[in-house]
Amino acid sequence: MTDFFQMYGWKLAEAVLVHLYYVVISVALAFIIAVLMAVVLSRLPRLSRVILPAVSVSQTIPGIVFIGVLFIFLGMVPLTVFTALTIYAIFPILKNTYVGIMEVEPQYKEAALGCGMSARQTLCMVELPLAAPAIFTGLKMSCVYTVSWAVLASMIGLGGLGEFIYIGVSTNNNALILAGAIPAAVMAVILSYCIERLKIRSLTWQQRREIQ
Amino acid sequence: MNLSLVLEHLVLVLFTILFTLLFGLPLGIYAYFDRRAKKVVLWSVEILQTIPALALLGVIMVVAGAGKATVICGLTLYSMLPVVHNTYLGLSEVSPAIKEVAIGMGMTRAYRLFHVELPIAFPVIFTGIRIATVTAIGAAVFATFVGGGGLGSVIYRGIRTQNMTMILGGTLSLMLMAVIIDCSMGFVEGRLHRHRRK
Amino acid sequence: MIRFENVRKSYKKTTVLNNVNFEIEAGTFTVLIGPSGCGKTTSLKMINRLIEPDAGRILIKGEYIHSLDRIRLRRSIGYVIQQIGLFPNMTVEQNIAVVPKLLKYQPAQITDMVHELLAMVKMPYKDFAGKYPYQLSGGQQQRIGVLRALAASPPIILMDEPFAALDPMTRSSLQDEVKNLQQQLNKTIVFVTHDMDEALNLADKIIFLDKGNIVQMASPEEMLENPATNLIRSFMGKRIGGPDQPPEYAADFMRTNYHRVNKNKGIRECIESMDRNNVDSLLVVNDDKTYAGTVSLKTLKNSAKSGVFALKRKGSDGKLHHVITPHVTCERPTSFIDEEARVCFEKLLETDSRYVVVLNHDDTIAGIVTDTSVAKALADVFWSDEI
Repeated sequence: MTDFFQMYGWKLAEAVLVHLYYVVISVALAFIIAVLMAVVLSRLPRLSRVILPAVSVSQTIPGIVFIGVLFIFLGMVPLTVFTALTIYAIFPILKNTYVGIMEVEPQYKEAALGCGMSARQTLCMVELPLAAPAIFTGLKMSCVYTVSWAVLASMIGLGGLGEFIYIGVSTNNNALILAGAIPAAVMAVILSYCIERLKIRSLTWQQRREIQ
Repeated sequence: MNLSLVLEHLVLVLFTILFTLLFGLPLGIYAYFDRRAKKVVLWSVEILQTIPALALLGVIMVVAGAGKATVICGLTLYSMLPVVHNTYLGLSEVSPAIKEVAIGMGMTRAYRLFHVELPIAFPVIFTGIRIATVTAIGAAVFATFVGGGGLGSVIYRGIRTQNMTMILGGTLSLMLMAVIIDCSMGFVEGRLHRHRRK
Repeated sequence: MIRFENVRKSYKKTTVLNNVNFEIEAGTFTVLIGPSGCGKTTSLKMINRLIEPDAGRILIKGEYIHSLDRIRLRRSIGYVIQQIGLFPNMTVEQNIAVVPKLLKYQPAQITDMVHELLAMVKMPYKDFAGKYPYQLSGGQQQRIGVLRALAASPPIILMDEPFAALDPMTRSSLQDEVKNLQQQLNKTIVFVTHDMDEALNLADKIIFLDKGNIVQMASPEEMLENPATNLIRSFMGKRIGGPDQPPEYAADFMRTNYHRVNKNKGIRECIESMDRNNVDSLLVVNDDKTYAGTVSLKTLKNSAKSGVFALKRKGSDGKLHHVITPHVTCERPTSFIDEEARVCFEKLLETDSRYVVVLNHDDTIAGIVTDTSVAKALADVFWSDEI
């Protein structure tokens, strides 16, 4: 055990950081893009009837394919990983945000219009806050998936925790597999827990608002 | 592209779902019966799904070695969440009035579960099975890393040899499989919900 | 048939039932009634052991129910609840057949039974047996709920506010049907409600509970005649002392929809208004709303024809109008609102006026008494609420 850490300690710490770096940047980018897209789509119901099923279908494409295809076009650069992970992370957030906005009860939107809110105010003060729990659920799913798919970055030689798993699997080295798998699992659990906390906070805030 | 790989993939998914139901349904029912167990059960399956699929498969491979059994075992754990969760949810959503009437009519606990609660909860449970199936189809791509075969191997080989046709072939077959299964299960689901609406 | 002996129940510190004793005879329709939280539903649910008492005993046909098998006991008692609770996954036929199936009756026997039961509530087998609950209206659903309870022909049926969620029309027709079924099949029904009308309608015996105690146990007649407490009296509402006594004062039977005008209204306006409302006189009031007299259509028409106008006033449109003031007379008989009804009647009968004007004590108008309102008041006394 001690030997293992002496040998791999620094490398493991670095891998964790690289992994986290991939996940955070991609999910943050995806979050911005997805929420914007969802807002636009919620205003264009006809377009969304075409785009959303397409999104659902694309979601069945494994992340490995994104990385693989982009690798062929972009080569072995971090951009490949970011692009692939971001595209993949968009789907759950987009879908949940859209559904969340569409499921805001008409009475609230009507009340907002009745109060004299502009379309943008309605969106920012009523629709998005009420859709917040759904948005966070999407964000959580994206995060968990991205931690999972970021493992594949190593497949094209770009490091992260996948490197340990990957080498471990191909050389049958159990210690290496565990050294990659356990931190990846822990990272996913921690991130998902943090987002869950945010979601709960957004929920209580929403309920407080409704009661008042 | 050869058909045997598609079949291999399907078989992996099929066994995964079988085992998921075998363990997931009783776990969901158990969570519904025992309030104290509920938290632990739901929390554990949630954690299981949070673990990256490849990591989960890797860890199981450490114990069980490479091969199809490892894949099925890993995927089963991975698809447990929607089944357990929806079983629990469907059962607890059965209206209290109906439960009371069932007790008042003199049904035993087991009779109530099998003739009233489970049939009423079934559409919700089926939705869970559908989600689990689609997830399993996607996650089964990782089988190739732990020697389980399936469509993942085509895609992976395509990526390594930078063969676009191979990648696309594998991906398209996978998507097609997912969409067909999802749509047909969705159709069944719609019929179930229609007949059992309140 | 069913006997409660010193039954007690409390949840934490609140006592729901406090030493309750009563007996229900076989073949009777017993209604448990009282304000919410009085323990009526708790008592009901103790009979099929959905709730167990803390102390005391309940006996059915002399048997101590706590020594019986709970499941078997429940299968021998029909149960209907407010939320209906038809199983949404089963058809009408399957719903009705639940208990017979639990009791392992022969399939042929069950089918016959379903046919028979559906015929009793006039829901043809071929139209309804295969339907799912969501395809039925609320009233139809509860009919099936009742049939389901009757299916294994249990001697006792418990009903927990079964019609509370239905609209008044459906409710009253279901009440009739249930009462008929009970008499036809000679069932013992225990029925919980908070609606006194329903209780009076259905019950052979009413048990009135309050805060876990029986306040009164009596037949509907007896309870109407002799309500034990003010609470029961208030539950009975207008049924007590209302229609049974003749109207005492003028205010009790006057009409309050009458036509009233200010004395400065124009003649033509008033004629037009009377024509439109099909009346031949109007009540006239001063500016301070006190009674000034009446004016008749005939007088106004004559004056309009003859062209003799005594007085002009500025109307609301700024022009001068001929007003009705000079034509107002005070010939009509008047009564004050607290005048005795008899005196008021006499005024109406003795004068040839079509109505008596009823005044408040500040001389404003309260209403009018016409011969129709007298007739209606009398009819109320004789035929109570059937009119």
